[in-house]
Amino acid sequence: MSVLDVTNLGIRFGGLEALAEVNLSVREWEIVGLIGPNGAGKTTFFNCVMGVYKPSTGSVSYRGTELIGLPTHHRVTMGIGRTFQNIGLVKVLPVIENMLIAQHAKTNYGVLSSFFGTPSVLEEERTLRRNALEILDFMGLAPYRNAVVASLPYGLQKLTEIAAVLASDPEFLMLDEPTSGMSPEEAHAFGELLVRLRKELNLTVLMIEHHVPLVVAVCDYVYCLNFGRLLAEGKPDEIRRHPEVVAAYLGEEHATA
Amino acid sequence: MTERRLRRPSARKAVSADPEAVTGEVDPADVVAELAGDAAVELSEEIEEFEGVDQVSADASESGPSAGGWIARRGLIAIMVLGVIAAPLFYRGDAGQTKLTWMAIGLIYIIFGLSINVLVGYAGQISLGHQAFVGVGAFTSAYIVSVSHASFWVAFVLAGVSGAISAALLGFIALRLKGLFLALITLAYGTVAQFTLFNVSSLTGGGAGARAPRPAGFTSNMQFAYLCMAVTAALLYIDWRMVRSKVGRAIFAIRENELSAASFGINITAYKLLAFTVSGVFAGLGGSLFAHQQQLVQASSFDFTFALTLVLMVVVGGLGSRVGVLIGSTFFALFPLIFNAISLYTALIGAVALLLTLTRFQGGIAQQIAPILRWFGGGSLRKQRRSHVMQPGGEGVRP
Repeated sequence: MSVLDVTNLGIRFGGLEALAEVNLSVREWEIVGLIGPNGAGKTTFFNCVMGVYKPSTGSVSYRGTELIGLPTHHRVTMGIGRTFQNIGLVKVLPVIENMLIAQHAKTNYGVLSSFFGTPSVLEEERTLRRNALEILDFMGLAPYRNAVVASLPYGLQKLTEIAAVLASDPEFLMLDEPTSGMSPEEAHAFGELLVRLRKELNLTVLMIEHHVPLVVAVCDYVYCLNFGRLLAEGKPDEIRRHPEVVAAYLGEEHATA
Repeated sequence: MTERRLRRPSARKAVSADPEAVTGEVDPADVVAELAGDAAVELSEEIEEFEGVDQVSADASESGPSAGGWIARRGLIAIMVLGVIAAPLFYRGDAGQTKLTWMAIGLIYIIFGLSINVLVGYAGQISLGHQAFVGVGAFTSAYIVSVSHASFWVAFVLAGVSGAISAALLGFIALRLKGLFLALITLAYGTVAQFTLFNVSSLTGGGAGARAPRPAGFTSNMQFAYLCMAVTAALLYIDWRMVRSKVGRAIFAIRENELSAASFGINITAYKLLAFTVSGVFAGLGGSLFAHQQQLVQASSFDFTFALTLVLMVVVGGLGSRVGVLIGSTFFALFPLIFNAISLYTALIGAVALLLTLTRFQGGIAQQIAPILRWFGGGSLRKQRRSHVMQPGGEGVRP
């Protein structure tokens, strides 16, 4: 069964056609890669799926429900989690506070009782904190729980963001360049973590990634965007050898040579 | 963290159990002491929260003070709280009456400060028209008591509601505008309210003003000071709980990054409006107390200078810091009264304080007294090794 089905997606910004005729689907339990040179429209694609932008054409459906027209926060409560290329955390707050913010959608107490610190609020806050610490422990971030996010090295900030997204209990994870700023070794370790996460948390993943070895190692299927259009799709090995993909990344001569 | 939390109850018991062990019976003074002790625990917990932010590794500096250290900290906070609670009892004679008036005004300004702080400190919005919310609350309360002859409590609640509505209206505009444009709109909003709405004679008495008699049971200055104290304490509690709940976190998250806040499932529109509404409720309730403290409400009280003072006292106190807001508000409320200063001096002091805050200490007074707050929270007075001191509310506080 398809988790995400995008058909004929297109969006224009004035005269610029940022995305056109994009068809993409992610099936249950897959890790799907989305690659393409800078400016190909990968992040724009994520923004269309999350409702930051309203596409001009096409449809985006999540487990059979049409998403277009729904506000972003509503899409999140349906089980979609998203990370950002430049880290979507509140950087002036400590890691643990971010983990609590991330659990906003699954916090059940009422808005009104928030102001009075009723026993049910305090009880649930304790649960949220416990969840947060559990996930930080799992990700090996527990020692940094009280550190202000901005004070952490970039790689750790990236991991913290993923920990925060996991805290929101997503079923479908959209990662925007999760390994940017990581060393090749760290990226490799991240790939292993991702596979483990999928196994233990039953996740489906769509990720934007430039690190080719990682894409080949973990992805089940890869889509390649160029100038807002789908250039190629297929198994990672096919994509890596695909002449047009190589041309888009490295220039024409390399492809024909 | 856990070690410290475990230690706390025992320290608290040591404070409260002592007097009972000696006297063996319950004395009213002990009850007050107990209450103050509770407040002390809450306050120092809050300070710890405020200060706990700058520890990078939890393992390194977890030892905390000894039991005696905790008793000293809790004891000092208890004494301060008790001092404020007991102070009105010692104000006698004409001079005492003046001081009681000052106290009520100081407390009312703290409510105004909390109101502004929710909007400017927590939500990162700007309001240069806050006098409108305060004024709406004040005139609503005065009208309901003196024209409709309803009870003060009805008027008090409706003042909060009217403040909330007027603030939420501005909130709808803030959903579309940011920064300078929002500042201009709020400025216009406040000024228009002062010159038009507050001059509708049938509602506000026009230039003569509206009468707002003291509520039954709180007619004396001392009683009224205690009323203000109770309301301020309640609002401080509400503010404290809000910050530590999903509401406070959502509002912080929106201030920092709307895009990522939304992708954590936060409804941006709803929580922005909520921040305006909460700020409006605080302002309306403060306005009601303000009206009945003055006993005569006039449109001219709610001018731009007033709005500016409200923003100034929170910025100088320390945006986003409850303790800072408390100190800043009290200072700006009492300085002109105590020194009977003409407005020139007040403006001068305000300007100098603002300049110093903006150029040197963006965390305001709260940043200045950070070591003291850290000590009360169980830390040491010395500066900690880590220099990334960022306050939960303050923006870009320099180390």
